[in-house]
This record gives sequence, C-alpha cells and structure tokens, in this order.
Amino acid sequence: MSEASRLGRWSMLLWVAPAVVLLAVFVYYPVVDNILLSLYRWDAFSPKDVWVGLDNYVNLAADPVFWSALFNNVAYAVVSVVVQVGGGLTLAAVLEELVHGRLKGFFRTVYFIPAVISLTITGLLFQFIYNPQIGLLNQLLGGLGLGALEHSWLGESATAIWSIIAMSQWQSIGYVMVLFIVAMQRIPRELYEAAYIDGATRPQAFRRITVPLVREMSVLAMIITVSGAFLVFNEVQVMTAGGPNNSSHTLGTWLYKSAFFNDQMGYAAAIAVVIFLITITVSIVQLFLNRGKVVQY
Amino acid sequence: MNVGSETELKEENVRTTIRAKRPISRFLALAMTAGLVLAACSGSATPAPTPAPSPSGPAASTEPAASPSPSPAAELEGTISFLHKYSDPRYAPYFESVVAAYMAAHPKVTIQIQAESDQGVKDKLRILAASKQLPDIYFSWAGDFTKKFVRGELAKDLTADVTGAWKDSFTPAALDAYTYDGKLYGVPITLDAKYMAYNTKLFADNGVAVPTNLAELLAACDTFKAKGIEPIAFGNQYGWPAIHYLTQLNPYFVPAATLQKDYDPATGEFTDPGYQKALEAFADVNTHCLTKGANGISHEAAQAQFLAGKSAMHYLEAVEFFALTEKGGAPAALAANWDFFQLPAPASPAGDAGYLTGAPDGFLVNPNSQHLDIAIDFLKFLTNADNAAKLVADLGWLSPITGSATAANTFPQNVTVIENINKAKGMAIWLDTVTQIDVANAYLNGAQAMLDGTKTPAQVMDDVRAAAAKAKAESQ
Amino acid sequence: MAGNVARPNHLASPRGAVTGSIGRVIAYVVLIVIAVAIIYPLVWMTLNGFKSNAELFGDAWGLPTKWRWENFVKAWNLGVVRYLLNSVIVTGASVVTTILFSSLAAYALTRLRIPFAGAITVLLLGGMMLAPTVALIPLFRLIQALHIFDTYWALIILYTAFRIPFTVFLIRAYMITLSREMEDAAIVDGASRWQVFWLVVMPLCRPIIVSAALLQALFAWNEFVFALVFISDTNLKTLPVGLLAMQGRVLSDWPVLFAALTMAAIPMIVLFLLGQRQFIRGLSEGFGK
Repeated sequence: MSEASRLGRWSMLLWVAPAVVLLAVFVYYPVVDNILLSLYRWDAFSPKDVWVGLDNYVNLAADPVFWSALFNNVAYAVVSVVVQVGGGLTLAAVLEELVHGRLKGFFRTVYFIPAVISLTITGLLFQFIYNPQIGLLNQLLGGLGLGALEHSWLGESATAIWSIIAMSQWQSIGYVMVLFIVAMQRIPRELYEAAYIDGATRPQAFRRITVPLVREMSVLAMIITVSGAFLVFNEVQVMTAGGPNNSSHTLGTWLYKSAFFNDQMGYAAAIAVVIFLITITVSIVQLFLNRGKVVQY
Repeated sequence: MNVGSETELKEENVRTTIRAKRPISRFLALAMTAGLVLAACSGSATPAPTPAPSPSGPAASTEPAASPSPSPAAELEGTISFLHKYSDPRYAPYFESVVAAYMAAHPKVTIQIQAESDQGVKDKLRILAASKQLPDIYFSWAGDFTKKFVRGELAKDLTADVTGAWKDSFTPAALDAYTYDGKLYGVPITLDAKYMAYNTKLFADNGVAVPTNLAELLAACDTFKAKGIEPIAFGNQYGWPAIHYLTQLNPYFVPAATLQKDYDPATGEFTDPGYQKALEAFADVNTHCLTKGANGISHEAAQAQFLAGKSAMHYLEAVEFFALTEKGGAPAALAANWDFFQLPAPASPAGDAGYLTGAPDGFLVNPNSQHLDIAIDFLKFLTNADNAAKLVADLGWLSPITGSATAANTFPQNVTVIENINKAKGMAIWLDTVTQIDVANAYLNGAQAMLDGTKTPAQVMDDVRAAAAKAKAESQ
Repeated sequence: MAGNVARPNHLASPRGAVTGSIGRVIAYVVLIVIAVAIIYPLVWMTLNGFKSNAELFGDAWGLPTKWRWENFVKAWNLGVVRYLLNSVIVTGASVVTTILFSSLAAYALTRLRIPFAGAITVLLLGGMMLAPTVALIPLFRLIQALHIFDTYWALIILYTAFRIPFTVFLIRAYMITLSREMEDAAIVDGASRWQVFWLVVMPLCRPIIVSAALLQALFAWNEFVFALVFISDTNLKTLPVGLLAMQGRVLSDWPVLFAALTMAAIPMIVLFLLGQRQFIRGLSEGFGK
C-alpha cells in the first residue's frame, strides 16, 4: 500500500470519529464508571466517598423493593408482549384483511396517535383518569353499574403498577400494530389467494402464512417491547413516583429515588449495573433467537 | 423472502428518489446552521449560576467556621441565585416583587430566582448538591433535612451574621428550629403550625361540639358518617399528609426527652411502646374519619372537597389558611363559617399534649457562594418589618418577625394562631424532615401501607426500628 | 409494492364463519370500540381544558358550559411557550447532529475501507443495547466536570450520543442495499469522496433520512430522564419536564393543567399527521429489510 493511500485510509477514520467519540465518552464510559461507583457509599452531601466493596450488592439482594421492582419490570414485559405484540399483530391482520381504502388509513392513524404523545402528557392525563373521585374510569364503572369495581387505582399497592401497565398498552399498541402492517404489506397476495383456493379459512391463513412471514418483525417488536419494559421510567415517575409504599417502582424509578431522595448514590449505581446486565442479556438472547431459520415457501 | 419483489423494490426506490432531485445537502446545511446558532444563542442567554466576580467590596470569607460576612460598606455588586419552593402562582409573585424591590435598591445586583414546587424541590436540591451547583440561597426544611447540608458542609454558619436588631426581631422559637449544636444555619421566613380546620355550620347543624380528646374526635366522625357527611377530607398522594398526623400523635404518646433522643440519628432506637400506640391511634382515626383511597388523592383535591362544604374537617397548615378566606378564593359559604383546633390528644397522654406540630420555613446560605455579602443582605431585606408585613397581608402566611401580623393586616384566625403558637410548650417538626431519610422513608411508606391495609402498626414499627439502626450505624 | 395496490377480492374468498357478515360486523365493532377507547381520553383531556375548576369536580363527563379560552392563555403564559421553545431548540439541534454524524459513519462503514471497520461497526451498533437510565449517575459527574450542567448542550450531546446507534443501524441498512451505479459514475467523473457523499448518496437516502429524522425528533421531544436531571433552570426546561413542574404549581387549578397538556400534545400530533406517509414509508424502508 502506498504512503498516500495509507494516509488516506487513516484519514477516513475522521468520518466515523464524531460518532465513535460521542459513543465512547457518553455511552460506553458511563457503563464502566457505574461499576466503579457502585463499590462506594456516597451521596450528594457526603464530603467524600466511602469504600464499601460489594456491600451495595448484598443490600440489593436483601432489598424487598428491588425484587418488587424487578417483578414489576417483568410483569411489564410479559403484558407488553402479549398485548402489544400479540394484540398488535392480530389488529394489524384484521385491519389489513377486512378494512380497505380510506377507512383503513383512518383506523391506522387513530390507533397510532397516542404513540407520538409524550409519556409525561399521557401520564398526567391518566393520573386524572384514574382519580378515585372525578376520574373517567371510576365514573365509567359507576355508570355501567359496576360500582363495586371502583378503586383508588393509583393509590392502592395492589392496583398501582397494573394501572400504569394498562396505560402503557393504550399508548403503544398502535405503534406495534403499524409495524406489523408494514411487514404484512410485503407478503405477496398470491400466497393468500392460493391458500383460499385450497379451502383455508382466514384464521388458518393467519396462522400458516401471516405469522411466519412477519417473523422478523415479530422479533423486532419483541425486542422493542421487552427492552422498553426494563427501562420504564417516565410514566411511573409521573403517575406515582413509585408509590404507594414503593409498590409501583420499576428498576429505573427505584434507581432515581435511591440516588435523589434516599441519598444513596452508590446503591443507585449498583441498580444501574443490574439493569445493564439484564438489558444486555435480553438483547443478546433475542439477537440469538433471530438467527433462526428463514421461512421458505 | 421473495427475491423478485425485493429487487423490484430497490430499483423503484432508486428511481423515485432520483426523480425527487432536491439535494438534501442544502437542507441539512441550513438546518444544521440554524439549529446550532439557535442553540448557542439561547444556551448563552441564560447563564448557569456562576456569578460574575465582584471587584468592589471586600473579599468574602468562605470558611465554614463562624466568621461574619463583612458589612456591605461598599456598594453591592454581583449576581446570586435564589431557590425557593413556592412556584405556585399564588405565592410566586410575592417573591418576585421582593426580589425586584431589592434589585431596584441595589442596581448592580442581579438575583436569579429558581422556583420549584413543594415536591419537586426535594429531589432538585439533591441533584444540585450532587453536581456542586447549589444556589447561593436555597430553601430547606428544619430538622435533619437541614442537618444533612450542615454535615456536608453545604450550609454556612450564620451565627455571627444574624445579630443585634435583626436577630431580636425574630421569635426565638423560629431561630431555634434552624439551630444545631448551638449554631444558627438558616433564616426562617414563615411561622407555621398544623391545625384541624372545621366547618362551624356543619358542626352546629349536626350538634357536634369541638372534640377535646381523641375519643371525642372519633365519636364526632361517627356522627358525621352516619349523616352521610365525610368527616375529614384527606388526600395522601405524596405521603406527607399522613406523616403530619403522626408528627402530632408521637409527642402525645411518647415523652419529650425520648422523642428528642430517637429523632437524632446517632442515638435513635424507637423502642418506646408509645410509638406503636401513636400508629394505632392513627389507624383509628383513619377507620373512623379519613377519606378512603387517600393514597390516590392529592392533598389539594381533598382541600377542594372541604372548600365545597362536602366534608366537616380538614387537617392543614396555618400557611394554607388563606385559601379558606374569601380574599383567598374560598366560597362565601365556607369563608364565613370555619374555625380550627389542634388535633386532640388522648384523654391521659403518656407524652405531652402541649406540643404543637409545626416548623418555620427557611433558607440556607451556600458557604461557597462568591457573594456572601449579597446573600446575607438580601435575606435581611426579605425579613425586614415591611416585607414581613407584606408577606402576612399578601399571602396570608405568618412571619417569625414579631409584630408583623396584627388584626389590621390579616384575618382573625391568623391572630389566634400566633397566640396559640406562643402558648405551646414546644413545636414538633414534621416527622419526615426531622428524622434521617431512612427513618423518614420507613414512616412515609409505612403510613401509606397502613392506609392501604397492607401493613399493621407493629410491622411499620419494625421497619422504623430497622431504619433507625441503619442510620445509627452510618452516623458512626 | 403489493400492499398499495387494491386487492382483487373477487379472485378467491376464504371459507368459514369468520368471513361471514357476522364475523365482519364483530370485527368492525371491535375495531371501533378500540378506536373510541384510544381517542376518548384525548378528547376528554381537551374538553377539560375549557372547563372551570368547579365544573371539573362536579361533572366529569359533561361538556363545558362555557368555552374558557382563558385557561389556555394562562397555561401558555405560565410556561408552555417557554417549554415549547426549549423543546424545539433541543430537538432540532439534536436531529441535525444525529443525522449528520450517523450518515457520515454509515457511509464510511459501507463504502470506505476504513481500518477497524468491524470493530467500529460493533461499537456503534452495540450502543443500542445501552440505555440512558443506566448511564445516569456517571453522566452526572461527567456533565458537571464538562461544565455543561443546566445548558442546552448537555441534552443535545446526550440525545445525539444515545441515538447514533439506532440511526446508524437504519441508515447503514439502507445504504447497503443502494446500488452503486451512480456513485461509481461520479467517481469516474472525478468527484471526491466527500462530494459523492453529499451530492449523490445523501439525496438517494432521502427516505431513510426523513424517517430517521422523524424518529429522532420523536425521541428527543419526549425524552424525560436526562431533561429532568440535567436541566434545573425553569427557563431551560423542555416540555415533558416543564409540564411536570406545572403540575406541581397549579395544584388547585386543574383545567389550566389540562389546557397545557393539550397544547403540548398538538405539535407532535400535527407533525405526525403531516408526515404520516413519509413516516410509515420510512418505517417500511428501514424495517422491511
């Protein structure tokens, strides 16, 4: 290789330099720093950091709120996959098959709109909807004669996190549905024609043709919903800030509260390390699953 | 995937995009310049709180030891930042006007106000402290909340600054709330106490007398409940409203000396059986009197119920009394028919019924401030007689400056409050700010759980004791 | 594209109950019920902005008796205008920087033979697995050390850094499938790499860039954690954080808060409605491969 072209090759690094530098400093370095910070006990007021080794992790394992938060994240993930991926896929199929023209576009738009609205806005809105006295939900239940089902939705440990999860489904189901519509539009119509000629019903066609052929999109949708579920922060912080009695905390909000309310930054860093490990594992596992067989037809 | 359609798609894309023809580079370049220019301009228009150096005026001392800031013989010059928790549009204008008046009197001084909400200031202060960006003057609750800043060397010792006539203008109890180990760290600006407001008309119409002990209160609640009236409007969204009940109940059931010892993180144990009795009393009050599902209702929403005449009583602070007056916006039916009493003690208290829940609100000074002289001078201005009287007249609050509230400039209930506070044996500072954060959390969460039905008083006390042990260990 | 052409329904019909008219009706009913469930909360939110406090407490379902536009004016003045402006600045700037750095990197990785290409690709794409929340505490110290705490730059830089992986993923996937005829022709004509990038490749990538820009705008506009922690000055707060602060302020005047929420939701909805085609098309270009 000539001197000129070697110089040329190295100067090409300038193209990627901004991206690489930004990532290295602001995305990768913090991950490492987190691990270090989690080995100390410190807070906003302590003049200096105190080395505690793995104490923070020991406390983490014994902390009931941590486990409850983890459970909440898992619940979030499970419900989101079932409702958003499963429900989104079904809705997309119904919309594609049974509705045509302008009406389809109308439904698609309507379902998608919540996804573009900030979680803070929807969080505050649903805080009112769930209000035990003047909120829509209790009023609706009362109006339908189901008054016995009325609750203080965000005020009871048993219902708080589920109410938040429900709100999240409302927000995101349209988004996932549109992803599936996009994927379904690539499926050649002839496949369905052939199946119907052979006597298949719609559900059968759905199971045998649609589902396998949107596999890539399904995996992608699952990756998005599951990783999103472990990173939930915004809506929980806005609606309940983790209460009542720490019952609706997710790992993200528990991290924030530990750092900025409970004066335990080292502990918060330990939580961050755990979140990191979980999200990395989830991503790797799902990437792995994606390497599965490609559907032949 | 069907190979045929994919290549078709690709070619179609290339064809359509070439037809589009608009060079994206021009658009990007424009947008980029615009964006960066806007960002740079706006970013620099509002500077972060790093004040300009002040050439005139003697250098301010920054040692944590009690050295007085120099008296402003030379003209004051510089910029300071001032953080308060009164962003509510009812209160913010007062502070804006005081700051404006000060800046008018001192043309070379700029004061940047940072207004936060009551709940928002709790994490905001920690974020700022952790990033070493504490404002020059910042709000803090009395109790361990302020002590945290003292321990972290983030609050200036003001003993030598608040002296002479200025010091004498304060009610001693107010200064005491911000005094630790004999040193003063904060400047109080309000006097506050927690009372049970009641609708005199509802009481009269239903033949209920003002309760003199806990049992009578519970009976009164039962009477109202039987008539379909909500006894006490209660909303516990952020957890502190329940804590205020406990703040009052604890001194009733536990002797004062024990309380003092337990609230100090270095010696706290909470083994006295009175603590659990206090929790049980709260549970009783909840069963008979309080709104159900309160964890999901805000304190303000509950207050709205009381204002609308839908409930007989409401537990609130004296600084909120203004909202119950006509000038403060209350409906005439309520504004003319309310009075208050202290939460009654049990018939024979193990503790002392003379303690009243309440604490002043105040401000601390950042010892690393570049303009200690301005900060202290502004606080002096904020608490002078005129501004204190203005506080009373405009906001309906009580000021720790003696003589600031008279029958002439405030509503009658406020005058009664001052007499009441002066008669109290002592003030009980809010339980969630007077204790170390872990103990405070144990109480906050515990109270929420009790309202929820998921924890018993005994379990909550177990949590409190565990938290106290942890706090003790960490304070060694 | 097969999906955009009207389907020839007459060719073959599936048998079975689901297709019968009953099945169709049920499906439509379900679709409509869900649509109502999705839209009604937003309608409620907007109507509440016009009510008075008493009306809100008294009659949650009803229409406002009077259309109180003053609530909206009050919300606007209380800070919505300021928060909107801040969001526009931060979002706009971060969209530009993200697209710029990401396309530069994507081009280099797909067209230039740069050293360590494999490692760099893994580095850039691997960033997708790392989340803002995880980096919060260390970033705290870092932002403070760089003296950008409480400035727009903190947010712009962070939003760019955390979205580069995904944007590179999108643009790179698109660039890989671009046929190189035009670029090769330009090179033969003597264009430099830089010119080829700006004048040939970027215009060709317009669909994916538009989609990436829209997705970046959506992210930055609604981002919450960083905006909450790294901006303290009320005048610099972006919309999500500002709205939360507003909730803490207007504790007793809820219609004003609803008015603020409504006004805050409108920009993104309008942007989406206008750019729906590009948005969906961009999604299909990016994800369909």
